[in-house]
Amino acid sequence: MKRAWSADELARDGRFVRIEFMARAKDPRPLPSEQGGRRAPLTPDRPGAPEQARSLMHGIFTGEIQALEGAGRTCWDFPVGNGPDDAPFELKLDMARQCWDEARHCEISVKLGDWMGTEIGEFAESAFLYEAACNPDPVLRLTGVNRALEGLAIDVFNTMRDFGEVSGDPILEFCEDWMLADEVTHVKMGSDWLRRMTADDPERRERALEFQRVVDKLFSIGGIRGEDEDSPIKLARRFRELAGFADEEIDEIAQLSHEARQELLTQRRRTVEAQAS
Amino acid sequence: MADPKKARPPFSPWDRRELPGAFTVEETAKRVGHYKWIEMRLFEALGGWVATVPELDVKMRLGTHCYHHAWHAELWHKRLPELREMNPDRLTQPANDEIVAFIDAMTEPEAPELTIEKLVGVYRVLIPHKIAAYTYHLNNTSTITDAPTIRSLDFALRDEFEDWRDGEMLIQSLIETPAEVDRAAVHQVRLEKLMLAAGGIAGPGSIGGEQGAPAGEPTEVSA
Repeated sequence: MKRAWSADELARDGRFVRIEFMARAKDPRPLPSEQGGRRAPLTPDRPGAPEQARSLMHGIFTGEIQALEGAGRTCWDFPVGNGPDDAPFELKLDMARQCWDEARHCEISVKLGDWMGTEIGEFAESAFLYEAACNPDPVLRLTGVNRALEGLAIDVFNTMRDFGEVSGDPILEFCEDWMLADEVTHVKMGSDWLRRMTADDPERRERALEFQRVVDKLFSIGGIRGEDEDSPIKLARRFRELAGFADEEIDEIAQLSHEARQELLTQRRRTVEAQAS
Repeated sequence: MADPKKARPPFSPWDRRELPGAFTVEETAKRVGHYKWIEMRLFEALGGWVATVPELDVKMRLGTHCYHHAWHAELWHKRLPELREMNPDRLTQPANDEIVAFIDAMTEPEAPELTIEKLVGVYRVLIPHKIAAYTYHLNNTSTITDAPTIRSLDFALRDEFEDWRDGEMLIQSLIETPAEVDRAAVHQVRLEKLMLAAGGIAGPGSIGGEQGAPAGEPTEVSA
């Protein structure tokens, strides 16, 4: 088996449909959370909320598959060692543990999707998470996946847990809380390995953090995740702190999300103007 | 309550553990190093294959089993310094070139259509040989002096048996035609021959009776 397995090669059965991540962001139609031109947190009383919750759950499910695949590839892609192209033995053990956790998350997500009334393949899949897991530098890979994307997962699970609570769905709330605990662990793994593997290499650390910024900005999903009153997905500060994020790092993510929001609005305005002319 | 001053035997009547064992400290460390090497190759392969198999149930099982074998590797890694090997990497070695050839052949399949071959290599060849070697070790080491290795073997064997069953059931569910029976058998025969050449996961003597391993008679130890 070769080292490095591209996102295009990810093996899926016939139910899955792949689309580009940006296809959704470029869609000039408002997000379900923006009906009437206004954003709002995910609450059960909003029109379209059940459909959005199901869509989000399906997105979580496909994200979990890719997280499982990415952690698995990190077990395989790098020889054991301490060189720049190697992965330490203990890092691989952490990735194997993450494989188990992500496999459980897939199982949970399938069952929750079924519980919420959706089925595998009802929504399209974009390989955005796995693409970050293809970075050839193990430190950058862990920083991009475990700190940026698993960090996003913390925000999403926290939002879904709250949605379960306010909508009176104890099963959703229960499961999201358990997955949230695992995600904090995964993000902490990323934080710990970043610091450990770049302790004597500030240049590599900066490259890793820059990669995280790129991933964080790209996957702020048009600013849908943030700290504004109307942010559909709330930045989960407390859980990010538990996972090893400093206050200023969380502030930076909030700022990136704000910028992504402004860029999306500008892009949509231009699209509408172009269509009108 | 019984008289607290009354002398009791140090070993209860039902405790039949004995001192003699078939392995010295050095022999045990060498075997444990081979175990760690094979567990590492296995968890790496299972992790790598997750992205290559389209079957969702197989994908999730491989992810789960990947951790089982990583945990076994960690158990063996931690056991080595307790066996006077302060540099665990020194003994984290394949038993011989033939076992390397086996692992190379086992990890060769990568295309999405080759799930049967991937599973056969692990669940019909490697894991049964691991169970055999671990069981031989368990049944022949000193039940008193080597209790820590026995504890790890017990934990590992429990996973191995459950994973073996999981894997075998997945294989049976994937094989739907006589041609697929042949595919599975051909691949299994190829890998079994390579494992035969290797002498087992710890080399000749993996399950006793060969040179480089105890002859099967426990070493006499005078207590």
